[in-house]
Amino acid sequence: MKTHLLPALLLAAGGSHAATPPDTAATALPRAARSERPWYRPTHLALQTGGGLGMVAAGAGYQFSKNRLETDILIGYVPRRYAGSALTLASLKFMYSPFRLRVAEKVQVLPLTVGAYFSYTHGTLNDELKGQYSSDYYWFSTDTRYGPLVGGRVTYLAAPVAATGQPRKLSFYYELGSNDLYLASYLTNRNGGLRFGQLLTLALGVKADF
Amino acid sequence: MLSLSALRGWGRVVPLVALVGLVGCDLLEFSPNDHRVPEEFTNLTEKNLAKLAARPLPAGDTLRFVFTGDSQQFYDEAEALVASVNQQPGVAFLVVAGDISDFGLAREMRWVDEKLRRLSVPYVTVIGNHDLVGNGREAYQHIYGALDYSFVYGDTKFTLLDTNGREYSFDGSAPNMGWLKPQLTNLDGARRQVVISHVPPTNDDFDPALRAPYVQALRDAPGLVFEMNGHNHGYSITQPYNDGVTYVNSDAFSQRHYMVVTVWGNRQFRIKRVKF
Repeated sequence: MKTHLLPALLLAAGGSHAATPPDTAATALPRAARSERPWYRPTHLALQTGGGLGMVAAGAGYQFSKNRLETDILIGYVPRRYAGSALTLASLKFMYSPFRLRVAEKVQVLPLTVGAYFSYTHGTLNDELKGQYSSDYYWFSTDTRYGPLVGGRVTYLAAPVAATGQPRKLSFYYELGSNDLYLASYLTNRNGGLRFGQLLTLALGVKADF
Repeated sequence: MLSLSALRGWGRVVPLVALVGLVGCDLLEFSPNDHRVPEEFTNLTEKNLAKLAARPLPAGDTLRFVFTGDSQQFYDEAEALVASVNQQPGVAFLVVAGDISDFGLAREMRWVDEKLRRLSVPYVTVIGNHDLVGNGREAYQHIYGALDYSFVYGDTKFTLLDTNGREYSFDGSAPNMGWLKPQLTNLDGARRQVVISHVPPTNDDFDPALRAPYVQALRDAPGLVFEMNGHNHGYSITQPYNDGVTYVNSDAFSQRHYMVVTVWGNRQFRIKRVKF
């Protein structure tokens, strides 16, 4: 079904000159061609370091709402020498990027991304065995973290895939973030005991839309 | 001329770029359990003991030190404590009786050190239960050092050890009695001794199977002035086992009190509670 439909759509698209979508380098195929993607197919792959989500974290993500909302699912890794035990982190990020600036023909800047993440760490040494403590002995979770993030991005808009018109993009991003425990420490010291800058973490990453 | 000013321009830019790079590396945290810190924040126990050794107490002199505990998440109070302790005359060092951190994270231990390194005297720590959460044990070892250690200052031997039994699910490893017993019997040339740990043996978080052997070992320890703990967040000086052994418990930083402890003679001591 699909193999027949695609050439038909390509032919149909050939006649009319579709308007260039805002974040695509060149003429793309009409929406119908792209909607051939199965719903579960991620729109991008991501690779990052830092941000409390791994020395290396890799994963995939989806974009919604004209690419202004996105969610990434990452699996991160920290070697034993940096954390005392080898850690595997599963993370979920939600991001909103309201603005996009076309600074050059093939370069787009997303000056602001705000979002939040949630992460679960596997492999910590002492993470509350059953019966080790009475309930609420520690009010916080050892392995579950969440926090805000804010960042920005530069995107190179490559030519779309010739056969399908899929837009291709390569983005470099940074994110400043924190986590619930650092923020709690800040909030309980309102007389300057901690500076806001001491709570921050940095993530650097690359994202490829395909 | 032009190239010279260009060079000057770069001279300004390069350090700035280097600074941003350094700060960036510092911020590039792999996990909250990531314990990478600049070298100046590692091996603090060893470094502080070296500072202490550089200002020796003449034999026979009265020893005075500040005793406190549970700095966990009390950064505002830490600043006030440092300002107050720096006014105390004749103090040799300060002891934090565990729970340096609240979540066992390296960043917290570093934040506490950033406060306490402004003390005019060196400070030493012993590990607390909160410092053992998650990968805290590894972070503590990297930033502070050994979990069980001893040193002699003046005429007094100090033995500091991990008594946070619950963090090891009461597996019989903390306190490490095999390590402690020879420490207590050999004073390394000192005249008297002091034992410091976080969880007191009277507490439910002390390994119940090791309570009796620990208390007995202290009872038998020659020249023991007292045993000191934190954990309770409350000042007390008691003899809970009516065996002549004194147990001293510190305030937490949040109580805004610390103790000035003076020790002299064979086992004489005086403790003054100071508000800050």
